[in-house]
Formats: sequence, structure tokens, C-alpha cells
Amino acid sequence: MALNASASLAGRLIQTPVMSAIRGSAAGTRNLHFTMSGRRPNEKTTNGQLSRDYPVVDHTYDAVVVGAGGAGLRAAFGLVQEGFRTAVISKLFPTRSHTVAAQGGINAALGNMEPDNWVWHMYDTVKGSDWLGDQDAIHYMTREAPKAVIELENYGMPFSRTPDGKIYQRAFGGQSYNFGKGGQAHRCCCVADRTGHSLLHTLYGQSLKYDCNYFIEYFALDLLMEDGECRGVIALCLEDGSIHRFRSKNTVLATGGYGRAYFSCTSAHTSTGDGSAMVTRAGLPCQDMEFVQFHPTGIYGAGCLMTEGCRGEGGYLVNSEGERFMERYAPVAKDLASRDVVSRSMTIEIREGRGCGPEKDHVYLQLHHLPQEQLAQRLPGISETAMIFAGVDVTREPIPVLPTVHYNMGGIPTNYKGQVITYDGEGDKVVPGLYAAGEAGCASVHGANRLGANSLLDLVVFGRACAHAIAEENKPGDEIGELSENAGEASVANIDKLRFANGNVLTAEVRLAMQKTMQNHAAVFRTGDVLQEGCEKMAALWPKMDDIKLVDRGMVWNTDLVETLELQNLMANAVQTMFSAEARKESRGAHAREDFKDRIDEYDYSKPLDNQVAKPIEEHWRKHTLSYVNVDSGDVKLDYRPVIDHTLDDAECATVPPAIRSY
Amino acid sequence: MALSGRFGVQRLCGILSRSETRAALVGRYYSSGDGELHEPTHIQEPTIPPYEEKVGEPIHLKKARLQYQSRKRGMLENGLLLSTFAHRYLQTMNEEQLSMYDRLINLPSNDWEIYYWATGVRETPQEFDNEIMRLLKDFVKNTDRENRTLQPNLH
Repeated sequence: MALNASASLAGRLIQTPVMSAIRGSAAGTRNLHFTMSGRRPNEKTTNGQLSRDYPVVDHTYDAVVVGAGGAGLRAAFGLVQEGFRTAVISKLFPTRSHTVAAQGGINAALGNMEPDNWVWHMYDTVKGSDWLGDQDAIHYMTREAPKAVIELENYGMPFSRTPDGKIYQRAFGGQSYNFGKGGQAHRCCCVADRTGHSLLHTLYGQSLKYDCNYFIEYFALDLLMEDGECRGVIALCLEDGSIHRFRSKNTVLATGGYGRAYFSCTSAHTSTGDGSAMVTRAGLPCQDMEFVQFHPTGIYGAGCLMTEGCRGEGGYLVNSEGERFMERYAPVAKDLASRDVVSRSMTIEIREGRGCGPEKDHVYLQLHHLPQEQLAQRLPGISETAMIFAGVDVTREPIPVLPTVHYNMGGIPTNYKGQVITYDGEGDKVVPGLYAAGEAGCASVHGANRLGANSLLDLVVFGRACAHAIAEENKPGDEIGELSENAGEASVANIDKLRFANGNVLTAEVRLAMQKTMQNHAAVFRTGDVLQEGCEKMAALWPKMDDIKLVDRGMVWNTDLVETLELQNLMANAVQTMFSAEARKESRGAHAREDFKDRIDEYDYSKPLDNQVAKPIEEHWRKHTLSYVNVDSGDVKLDYRPVIDHTLDDAECATVPPAIRSY
Repeated sequence: MALSGRFGVQRLCGILSRSETRAALVGRYYSSGDGELHEPTHIQEPTIPPYEEKVGEPIHLKKARLQYQSRKRGMLENGLLLSTFAHRYLQTMNEEQLSMYDRLINLPSNDWEIYYWATGVRETPQEFDNEIMRLLKDFVKNTDRENRTLQPNLH
């Protein structure tokens, strides 16, 4: 049945409020066909065809997982193990997910090197979060960590061993024994230098032993929301251009972070915040988007890290005047000052006009005063990386560098079970049928800053938690609510609008403008003026999305279309980050405001609490930001949600009381 | 192979070949820590089905697919390397070369391997040691000192 959608599109959109929030303006006047009953084989392989028929294939599953990185695969494996008919939708082959980039490892208090206790891991994580993390979720993650790692080992993940055969555990920053008093902890388990890859490989392989249905190189477009419930997703098959509606009792979003909203980031080019944008378009909030972790020295634009070791070996940073500027900001530590001090000093140099390059928007890392032998021996790979990507010969020239996005602490708010939540002013409310895990989610275990090797742990523990939570409340084959007949129509209308978009700016131009705005206004140097200007620039950029021009009008392997859909997603993430950062008038963790240098809690924890009265939530900032976007106008609305301080069980472990964070 | 867990380049150089040392360090293999690091012999990672080349795929679609797959990688290094490489060479590749490139970017399950082979840190396995790999290795040397910090624009 070919349904002429255009005539009734607008009327239907008004009838269903959720859908009107989704790309309401996308409802064009084109004669667009929305074929419900299956694909038309003769249409699927025609590249460049101008047909406006969109064959739709309908599927029904107990559960759908969007994203096949560590979190998605762990959730999918947990689900098929419990007998749930599960579909996994991914725009990438599973082992090509960004989890593969994680070479470090995964934290768990196994105590294989010295005696360890997960309560100490919990303390480190709460402290690392600068007391913005929800302690029930941190309790859950650190307590479950040893079990989750042993499970992975049993599934076949070949963790590196100690001589006596136990899982080897490395030291990693931010990890201590005995509540910060027992020195550096060895808590990080690894699989040689390919922990992320091994995790993907193991979980993908295991899931295939069951009936797990992979839809690989499918691009998820939107959630299918009905009556406040998530009943699945709609996706585009990149190989043949067909549209697929997955009706499902439960949907898990595991789509990763949105580092690509910035100009310089270490994430893969595929980290475009697709899941958080889907949630945003469904009218649901994202949480704590202003918390973005930076590394001081990534190659300008490329994002490849020039490790701290470069400065450790005697490399230093210079501005456009050739001045070794860190001597001014940190006379003693100089270039070896802490990450945030180095990042902020670099940004101040750039803002004060002493940046390098034609746009004066980066600084230089100079290594050429070091003996060549030392470079080759002590900093292997650095010279090659600089030459390969920046065309820089480090023995003669400086490397252009910039503080570079490394991790997004914010994302889709969930409880410790991975269930997506909203907040109604009184308490958390679960969104039925919707879950999130991994960098896409915000449980929130990282709070205002993430510790190294806690991100792989987050993937595994909360991917697993989603599967557990679904299995607790559902049975395979449970009845699923119906989809309305026009479910997903707005997503198809959006694709149709984009395919034929014939405006004045290319996707890549808007993307670059967004990335530079975010880099210049929402990076490490944050003041009211800089952020307000950033908000204005992002608001001015939003309408540009309606003036976009696509060159490729086809439906098959249309990279232009995919990157425009990704840009829509990035924009949704970016405005929330900018506006949330502007509003948060304090410094906490990765969010450091030059004009509000202190952390503002309900009490002043630098003084005795005895005679203090707790400030009401409106007057302090130890609370989560919740952000909503009107996708037509780009307007951002902010709300706040209290931090959860209680643990899951006081007898098992007590709340870590807030204190001034110092290392 | 048992390797030292301590971060000590001098010690490592004694027991490893240069390329192995570099690979280990590029991969941030070592951190501070006591004891030695071993690879387990009793644990078998589950297998995944190998990539199957598409049969009868029209050449313009193959190129469109490979362009997508060159830009959409799990790690930014390959996202940059393969997107710039494909931008330069994909349109001029013949069917045989396209097949070699397809196999190179789709068969290895670990993207780091492709990166280490292309950059010469690790030896390229025989099945990928062909003219496309030589072209990629040459391209990676960046003798023209091009700036490859951004993916090339599609249009």
C-alpha cells in the first residue's frame, strides 16, 4: 500500500504531540509516499533516483538496541541470553565502534595486586565526580565492577595476567586505596593494548551464539514514542535506502558521545550524539551536557593526542611571539602544571591574541630542541603522528595543538538500572520502554569529571544493567503497544526534506562553523561573556540548518545525507552544552568558570558545618542540569534535578560526604 | 611472552625488536606497576564470522560504500587516514584495486591493526601486502607535507 502522506501529514502531526516535537517543520508539501507494506525490490539499488517513494519495512522485537559499541553489545548479549528477541541497529560494524579506541583498561577492585575494596573505588569515583555523581549509581557500578569483569573473562576476554595467573591490574590516575589515604591503586584490568577491541570482539562473538539480529550499517533516525512510552525506533538502511520501523517493548540507546560537536576532539568522526539527539527530539531532557572533559594537547583539528610525556621529556608550549608562556602561568611547574591549568593557559593566550596560525586559534608544542635520539626513543609514535596528520617534522618545526575534547560526562539521564528518567519537580519518573548506557547515558557516575578506565566500566556495567532491568520487568514475547499508523512519518519527511535541500550552505560548512563556535566558546576557558556570545552564535547558526544544500540526492550509501543527519544531531547536543554551561554559575569538575571560580554547594564545605543552614536548591549548584530543545526554533529550556546522595544500601556502604576536592 | 610491567624503555629495548617496542609504546602498553604482564594461554576469545565481499555490487555503489566506510571508523586516526586516502584515490581505482581496498578496510576486526600496518609500526600480513597497501603506506608518509587534520569535504 503506497500511502500519500503529504495530504494528511500536518494534521496527523498536530494530533500526536510527541511527533510534533520531532521535526515539526519537516512536514513539507511534497508528494511523498510512505510505503508501509515492505520494500520494493526494483527500487532499492537505484542510486541517484529522484523517487519520493519510501519503502518501509516493519519489524517487531522484544528489545531493540541502538549502537553496537561496548554498552550496546553488553546489553544485547544480556538480552539474548535471557531469551529476548533482540535487534541491534548500528551505523557501523560492531568492532568498528569507538570503543575500539580505548586501549587503556577497565577499573574493578579485584585486589589482585594489593588488597582492594570496591568501597575505595566508590570513594575515588564520587570524589572525581566533584560530588555531582549520583551515589546510588556509583555504588552500583563499583560494587558490580568485579562481577562484570569476571563475567567478561568467562565470556572469553583474555585479560593480561600476573605471573601467578591472576588478572593483572595497572595503576591509573585518580585511583587510590583506603579513601585516598592508601596511595596509588592498581585497579585497571587490560587486554594488552587492545582492551576496547577485545571487549567488542568478545561480546559480539558471544551474542552471535544466540539469536541476536544485527542490522549493521543502518542509521537510527528517531524514537517511536506513543503515549509517553518508547515503542521502538525508525532507521534508514544505508545499503538500499529502505526505511525500517522497529516496534519493540524496550529500546536501549547506546550511541556514544558527541565529541564531534567540537573542532578538536579525540573521538572518532562517528561520535555524533545520535542517541541524545533522538531523546531531545522526543521532547525528553539531556543531563549535565556542560561537563566536557578536555586533554590539553591534541593536534589542532585532528585531535590526535600528543601525550603528557611530550612535556615530561622537556617539550614546551609557545605562543605566536615564540614565548614559552607557561612560565608566566605556573612559574614552578611550567609546562608540567596540571591538565586544566595548561588547557586554560593555552586558551587565554589564544583569546588575548597570541595564538598561532592564520586564525590565531592554537598554540605550538615545541619538541625540536630535544635530541633526535631522545624523540625517537622516549616519544615513539609522536613524530610519525605529527607528520602523518599535520605534515609537521618535529625535529625542525613545532606542532599546532589545542585543548581537545576527550569525553562527554553528560548525556541521557538514567537511574542506576539504566532506565531513562525525567524529573517532574518532585521525583524522578521512568520513561517506559527506554534505556540508555555508555557515553550516551548519564547515570550519573562521572558527575563533573570522569576518571580514567571508568568509562569502559560504565559501558559494561550499565549495558548489563539495562539487560537485567528489562529481564526483571518483562518476559520474552510480552505484548507490545501498537504504533500509530503514521509513526515515524516525520523522520521520513525529514529525510525527504534533506535529500532535496537546495539552500546556500553545505553541510560541512555549517558543521565547521558549529565546531569552531563550540571550541571557541564552550571549551576550557568559560566566562559569562564568552558563553553568552557562544549562545548567540549557536542561536544564529540554528536557522542555517534550513538553508543547507545537499549534493547527493540518492538513497543508497548517501554519505552526504548521513552526515547531514549527524549534523542535526550534533547541533542538538551542542546548543544544550552551550546553554547549560552559560547557566551554571560556579566551577565544578570539568566546568571551570573564570567568573565563578568556586564550587557552590548547599553548605560551604571548607568550613565546619555546625552553624550552617543548607541553601535551598535554587541557590546552589550541586544539582544536575536538565536541558530541553525546541527543535524548530533551537531554543533551549533548562531545569534542574537534585543529586542523589544516598547509596543503594547504607549498611553496605555509606554516602561519601561532600568535601573540598583536592589531589 | 612475559614483558616487564615497568615503564622502562631501555629495558624494553633489550628484549624487543625496535618495531615491537614502538608498537608497545604507541599502544600505551605499559604504565607504572609491579609484577610482570602475561598473555593468558587458556582463554580463547570467541570468533566472529569473517567479512564477506559483496558479490555483483555495481561499481558506483561499491565506491559509494567504500567512501562511507572510509569516513566512518571507530578511531579518529583511521577516520582521517582512510577518508583522505579514499578522497585521493577511490575514484581512480579499478575493480581489482577496489576489491583489495574493500578487504583491507573491512576484513581486519581491529582498526588499530590497519593503522599499525599503514604506519609501518607492525609488519603487514601477507594477505594485505599488495599494491593498495603500498599506495596507502606511501600516502601515509605524507611526503608533500599536506595538512590532513580534517576529513575532506564530500563536495
